[in-house]
Amino acid sequence: MIWVETLINGALLGGLYGLLGIGLALVFGVMRVVNIAHGEFMVLSAFCAVLLSNLFPQVSPLLMLIPVIALSFAVGWLYQAAIVNRVVTSPDPLSPLLLTFGVSVILRNVMVEMFGADVRSLQVGELSRASLEVGGLNIGIMPLLTLVLAALLFMALQLVLRHTEFGRIVRATADRRDIVRLSGVKPDRVYNYVMGLSLALGAIGGVLLAVRSSFTPFSGAERLLIAFEVVVLGGLGSFWGALLGGIALGMAQLIGLKIDPNAGLLYAHLLFFIMLLIRPSGLVSSRV
Amino acid sequence: MPTRTILLGCVIVLVAVIAGAPFVLNEGFLRLATECLLLLTMAQMWNLLAGYAGLVSLGHQVFIAFGAYALFLTSGWLEVTPIWVLPVAPLVAGAVAAIIAFPLFRLRDAYFSIAMWVFAEIIGAFTMKSQAVGGTSGMPLATSKLIDFDWFEPTMFWLAGGLTLVTIAALYKMMTSSFGLGLMSVRDNDLAAMSVGVDVRHNRFVAFVLSAAGCGLAGALSFMGNLFIAPLAAFDVNWSVYMMFIVIIGGIGTLEGPILGVIIFFGLRELMTGPLGLSGGWYLVGLGIIAVVVMIVAPRGIWPALRDRLGVRLLDVHRAAPRPAAATILPGASERVTG
Repeated sequence: MIWVETLINGALLGGLYGLLGIGLALVFGVMRVVNIAHGEFMVLSAFCAVLLSNLFPQVSPLLMLIPVIALSFAVGWLYQAAIVNRVVTSPDPLSPLLLTFGVSVILRNVMVEMFGADVRSLQVGELSRASLEVGGLNIGIMPLLTLVLAALLFMALQLVLRHTEFGRIVRATADRRDIVRLSGVKPDRVYNYVMGLSLALGAIGGVLLAVRSSFTPFSGAERLLIAFEVVVLGGLGSFWGALLGGIALGMAQLIGLKIDPNAGLLYAHLLFFIMLLIRPSGLVSSRV
Repeated sequence: MPTRTILLGCVIVLVAVIAGAPFVLNEGFLRLATECLLLLTMAQMWNLLAGYAGLVSLGHQVFIAFGAYALFLTSGWLEVTPIWVLPVAPLVAGAVAAIIAFPLFRLRDAYFSIAMWVFAEIIGAFTMKSQAVGGTSGMPLATSKLIDFDWFEPTMFWLAGGLTLVTIAALYKMMTSSFGLGLMSVRDNDLAAMSVGVDVRHNRFVAFVLSAAGCGLAGALSFMGNLFIAPLAAFDVNWSVYMMFIVIIGGIGTLEGPILGVIIFFGLRELMTGPLGLSGGWYLVGLGIIAVVVMIVAPRGIWPALRDRLGVRLLDVHRAAPRPAAATILPGASERVTG
């Protein structure tokens, strides 16, 4: 029974991991850039939420998500416009990788200097301890809500990309950046919105993860690695795959923690590495 | 005067400077110089992989750690002075690279980079769990009592200096050989290189193993100088950050670039943490800003930009293209699925 509970909790954690991955997947799908600074931006949004909830202690920290999401969107827009767009068309596929890695180092150390290296977390009071009892199993309300929210966001993103004009423009830009210009689309501007959307999604994941577990300015690297593993495990470009990948990683992590309490993310990393060996195309293998 | 004579002259002068330096410099300065030289070697090794083979590794610290741990463990088992077991470090790091190359070489570009990082995290986590290598608290160099401390700092400096010179000479020789030409052709266009018979996988494999072995040796020397090793220091992602920043700022894909990069790296560090009194975090911020600005303004780095302006050629292994390279073909639209 304890194992069933572990598996269910792993799946719930997986919803959150899927949220970490989806922003990275979006940017990669549209502009073929792996934004290495994604993890640092998530930690930054968590710091913003902590600062805001210290400023307004009477407001529920979860409501702080709204200003943090808006702020993250603006930051992403500016980040893309000021920095990433300059290398996005570079013939060398390594330029964006190196550039975003440089940005991640800057952000991490600015956060260390500004907020200190202490361990922080976002307190939401009763909600984080509340749980539901279903057939003898204890299931946390907060993780359940997170999974539902993740599934809703995935669906919303899918709908937006499939059925709105913005979605069509984004998909067209992803396919042929040179040809959309003929229809009056400015690819760089589309990229700005996509990066904003990506960091807004990352902010949701970052803040919810800060509720679940503590963080430091150095947590960005581990969040990036989870996000990346989610995307690769799920199969590139597949959003539902990312959710599945997240669930697989969440289960691996919690089973690992049951066997070995101080394992941290070791078993999630191992699952990723083994999957790379046997199925490099991901769980949900789409077209090659 | 032909280039060969000038280079030979430079080598003789450098050997003389390195041999004599410990008698002139004080101990603190000597330690700094040793650190510079070791980091220069690591940066050259990272550059061999990124600048010439086109593989960016964000997990190169794992080879530094493998080399260092191999030295500490072997020296402890055999109970001999650590200097005599130094060859173990590159052998172990190279062997590990040869093994993990098989799964990792299926991945390209960013996937390779991050998979290397994950690999380093996994090995780091196992090291922290393993009590045989000291777990999280690390372990001291068991045979440090066999070291002659009167000559320790000078010996470290000579070893580091020798390693740096040999590394640069070997890289120069390699890059002017047909192997180097093959490697650079793979970096510039692997499809075209394959079509003229360059064995892409083999070239990448050799560069990867050599790069790992060099980092292993430099890492072993670095931790030998500390007489102590702990997993948090050995598996620190900052090793990769330093190597990358040095190469990017100085000039990726050139032999002179990392030299210039190391000078800027240590110059800025001594300036910011010394007279300006700033912390290590702000130093990394400053270095990161320089790297990002360089990547945007001069994507090939400072040295190539300077070289073109001044017309100076030192260790040039560049070959002129017979005609401008064809525009890159846009990747097929069918792979881009976002929904």
